[in-house]
Order: sequence, then C-alpha cells, then structure tokens
Amino acid sequence: MELKKGFIMRQVAGEYVVVNAGANVDLNGVITLNATAAALWTRLENPATMEELTQTLLAEFEVDEATAAQAAASFVEMLKERDLLA
Amino acid sequence: MTERYQIAELLVDMDTFGRTKAQAQHYRYDADGEADIVVKSNASSLKTEQPHLSDDDCEYISTGSNFYRQLLKFDGMVLHSSAVVVDGYAYLFTAHSGTGKSTHTKLWCKEFADKGAYILNDDKPALRLMDDGVFYAYGTPWSGKATYSPNRKVPLGGVCLLHRGAENKIRPCTAKEAIFFLLTQTSRPIGQMGNDKILTLLDKLLTKVPVWHLECNMEPEAAHVSYNAMSMKERNE
Repeated sequence: MELKKGFIMRQVAGEYVVVNAGANVDLNGVITLNATAAALWTRLENPATMEELTQTLLAEFEVDEATAAQAAASFVEMLKERDLLA
Repeated sequence: MTERYQIAELLVDMDTFGRTKAQAQHYRYDADGEADIVVKSNASSLKTEQPHLSDDDCEYISTGSNFYRQLLKFDGMVLHSSAVVVDGYAYLFTAHSGTGKSTHTKLWCKEFADKGAYILNDDKPALRLMDDGVFYAYGTPWSGKATYSPNRKVPLGGVCLLHRGAENKIRPCTAKEAIFFLLTQTSRPIGQMGNDKILTLLDKLLTKVPVWHLECNMEPEAAHVSYNAMSMKERNE
C-alpha cells in the first residue's frame, strides 16, 4: 500500500502537519500527526507492506514488536477511513 | 489602463476600476523597472459563479486574491484580520467573519488614543518576512468596505485568535490551535510549491511572533486585557 500523491507533510512549530496540495480526496483542512504517525506517513510515501511499517517503528522508536504492529495497523485503518491510500 | 503601485514594498502593476482603484489611490508609485507583481483580475468568471455580487465587488475580491496569491513568492501572506498599531507594533486580531474583530480593534483605538493607536488594515493586511528576519504587517488597498488603510510598514507584535465570550480571558495559543486557525484565515495556495511555501512561512511566523487566544466581550475592559498580555512595549521594558 501507499499514500495517494499530492499531500505535503511538514513540521510546523514542532507539529507534524499534513495538507492537501492536489491529492484526489476530499480533504480541505489540515491533519496533524504525532511522531509515530509521521514516521509511518513518510514510509508510506513509497509502497510498503504492513510488515515494513512495523519495522519502521521498531527502527525509530523504542517499542516492542506487538506494540509497533498494533500502532501500524490502527494508523493504516485511519488512512483507509479517510480514503488517503492510493 | 495599467497603473503602477507600491504595496507591501513591492512594485505592483494593476489595471482596475471602481472601489479597488479608489482604495489603491494612495499606493500609486512612479518608478521604472519591472513589476514584482502584475495583478490579474478574474472578475468576470467570479461574477458568473456569484451573480449576486456587483461587478465592483467581484473586481475587488478577484484582484485581492490574485495579489495575495502572488505575495507568497516574496515570503508574504495575507491574514484575514483587523490590524491595529500601538507603540510602533502591529497587532492582528483574526476571527471567523462576524465574530467582531473590527469591534475589538476599534476599542483599542478608543482606549489607547493617547498612545496614537490606529487601524493599519481592517480586513486583509499583508505580512512579510523580510531580510532582517523580522515579520512586518503592511496596509493594502484591500481593507474592507470604505476603510482607509495607510501605506505603512509596521513590525508585527502579535497575532490573536479572537473568540466571543462572556468574560475577558487571554492565554498563549498552542501551536496546533494556531496552525489550524491561521490556515483557514489565509488564502490557501494550490499545488505543491505554494503549499510548501505557506507551511514554511507559517513555521517561521509561529517561531518568531507570539500568538494568543482571546475570549472577549465588547466592553472597554476587553481591550485592556488583550493589550496588557500582548504589548511588546511592556515586554521590552
């Protein structure tokens, strides 16, 4: 899976902010992400499997595998709900 | 006829009429050289979309949004706000339409008349980050209905998100609140580059300029509550 093209994620005043800069989705507002979600977002700018997302979290944060897998799954769930995946 | 103006320290060429031309009169500027911004009006297509607006209003809205979109190339942005100047600093009160930002800045003008308080722009001041690393607020021809906006440059002393409340309360704004709110009160660019620029500029703005969250009523006390917290003069002394 991977994100639709046309979003921009930036750190603004310490917050991770996503805006729609031309993606084909109904998102006029802003999404803010925490550090974990931002890492997953960045990874999903290119195609990645659920396993690879879990590995991204294990590499960047001090979490155990079960927690990482859980976080990755719920993040992907959110992306699907908002129709942000390609 | 295309005429030359200086707005927010930029050379601007614009061919306009009516209220837009009248409000731009004191921005007229005779200088040679290439314009930084050539304002393109899209009034006729706006009129097609919004037939209830007058031609004059369409021209005013269209030229303004075109100017502010191009302003981004010069580290500048618009903030839908009322800008009041006291002690040499501009304070911008932003709010959703109808909340009463002009009412609040009028209170400042009355309560701080002895400090020379005046309105810089009552609807859409321009903000620019200049080479000295300072954000400035500028008067522009787009200042709402029949409002005089002087062609001046004033260091930005603070931005305030204004909400109506029974009592007068002010606190620093969180970064999240500020990002959400300010992005709804500026003109959002289209495409990758423009969005990239606005987020970069917003990051610098939030780093350099204090942003406040105000709940206020319409009593004179409201002006004193916001001034006491926001005043850069008191802070510097």
